[in-house]
Amino acid sequence: MKNGKRFLLLALAAAAALVLGIGVGSVWVAPGDIAAILAHRLFGAPLPAGLPAAFVPMVLDMRLPRVLLAFLTGAALAACGAVMQSLLRNPLASPFGLGVSSGAGLGAALVIVGGVSVAGPGTFLLPAVSLVFALGTTVLVLALAARLDRGASGTAVILAGMVLSLFFNAVMNLLATGDPAHAQRIQLWMLGSFNMKEWSAVWVLAPVTAACLPLFLRRARELDALTFGAEQAAALGVDLRRCQNELLLLTALLTGCSVAFVGVIGFIDLVAPHLARRLFGAAHRRVLPASALLGGTCMVLCDLAARTLVPSREIPIGAITALLGAPFFLLVFFKTRKREAGHAED
Amino acid sequence: MLKIEHLTCGYGGAPVVRDVSFSVPQGGRLCILGPNGSGKTTLLRAIAGLLSCTGTVAADGQTLNGLPPRRRARAVALMSQFAAAGFDYTVYETVMLGRYAHREGAFWTPDSAADRRAVRESMQRTDTWALRERYVTELSGGQLQRVMLARAFAQAPQVLLLDEPANHLDLRCQAELTASVRAWAAEAPGRCAVAVLHDVNLALDLADSVLLLQNGAVRWHGPAAALDMAALDEVYGMDVRGYMRKALGRWQKGEHDVPQPL
Repeated sequence: MKNGKRFLLLALAAAAALVLGIGVGSVWVAPGDIAAILAHRLFGAPLPAGLPAAFVPMVLDMRLPRVLLAFLTGAALAACGAVMQSLLRNPLASPFGLGVSSGAGLGAALVIVGGVSVAGPGTFLLPAVSLVFALGTTVLVLALAARLDRGASGTAVILAGMVLSLFFNAVMNLLATGDPAHAQRIQLWMLGSFNMKEWSAVWVLAPVTAACLPLFLRRARELDALTFGAEQAAALGVDLRRCQNELLLLTALLTGCSVAFVGVIGFIDLVAPHLARRLFGAAHRRVLPASALLGGTCMVLCDLAARTLVPSREIPIGAITALLGAPFFLLVFFKTRKREAGHAED
Repeated sequence: MLKIEHLTCGYGGAPVVRDVSFSVPQGGRLCILGPNGSGKTTLLRAIAGLLSCTGTVAADGQTLNGLPPRRRARAVALMSQFAAAGFDYTVYETVMLGRYAHREGAFWTPDSAADRRAVRESMQRTDTWALRERYVTELSGGQLQRVMLARAFAQAPQVLLLDEPANHLDLRCQAELTASVRAWAAEAPGRCAVAVLHDVNLALDLADSVLLLQNGAVRWHGPAAALDMAALDEVYGMDVRGYMRKALGRWQKGEHDVPQPL
């Protein structure tokens, strides 16, 4: 019951963030007006008399898709973060931290440089290529970490992820330098942006997220068991290979699709699962939905900050999330180290 | 009961366990003895199905080789040596994971009444019921071992495998552990336990039969009461009884009550 109430509050906070995200901008659109415009679009209800005509396309074609895309991206990345942290038994794991986001970003950058327009066929090509790159990066990171340290321990995975992440960023920078025509777009990609996003991105990411989250949730108990280590999970009866492959494939799919449309945005995928565990305990049947809601809410608020903090200019959202997320990363890192030291003394 | 025939396994290179055959009758408790590197833990992992092997493993007449992991985990539970949890699970949630193998269906299902009953019983059996709201991350090593034993009991297996279950346990907890495993094995038909222990005294307290491993092969197998001391000395490369007697001598000089080693 207590958890039910918390989920209700979390859902209300998410709804409030969405309304705020749509309302705030060059002109303020009141929540009542937003509701009227939505009702008009969805059910054909008449618009109130005093409503400026320009509000309708502004809300429906610019702010609503942008805010929805931000929410979906945050939810998708946060859920992936929660899954990765359990699967790798590493509180520091996340699509961004492991370089999976950067890998997917490199894939997207290659498509852009290749000159494929993002409208039309690009809508599907971009996520497809990003997905392949995300999957490749996942495999590469795990292989590299296993080489660094046979147990693929916490630090080795993070180290491998950071090395790959830096490498991919360097390649993206090279691509940008070599192709001035697309330089600005690639650089925007590297820190992420929800600017000028159309409905097509929402129409791809929404069904993928809606399909992946229940598939994650289906494995909630397996994820719980895996948190205690692969060996223990196997002894409890978890089909290790099938479960790990399925979950890594899904995280790559979801990360690839998110990054394909908005670029590389870090830290929310790391922070949201930890907040979720703090609020709802460690069991994944609660951590997964809570991470998604928290991740979505945080992303909408960060995007709001990105476009309103400096008047008439937009800060890359990746900079905002890093600004808030980096201290949090250190906090988790030192807490983990302390705990490991505590266990060693035991 | 458990029946192992011609089991050979390893980690890619030369086999670590070679052509091991033995059986444990129902209600029996077997202890595997042997020096470090003799293949004790590897043998246990192979029986649990964590390692592919040749030969057959059968519990209660049912061959376990090639069974799906969930079906296998209903027959065999392993309480393993490393038991750290990454995140703040409660003790109750941790023990409830033992019921994983007994769930059906592709989607998430709530805990059934039978699950809750099994968890409560095994927690009371291991004296961990009072800890149920605590986080596993804040438990002492000894408490954690008891929680892991509770989880293995909750799995309701026919064969209980214990890998160094007495690690981190103080003397009283060790005695309680052996007593609870003995009671569990005797309680229902078809059950048996196999333990890897370093402490020979504790092994003889828990077990009614002993399997002595040397370089991955069976050196001696028989009832605990008839343990071949010469083979034991040879396998460990030392005078085991002489060492125990020396320890006993220290007790006698201090005029303490004399414990019963060997």
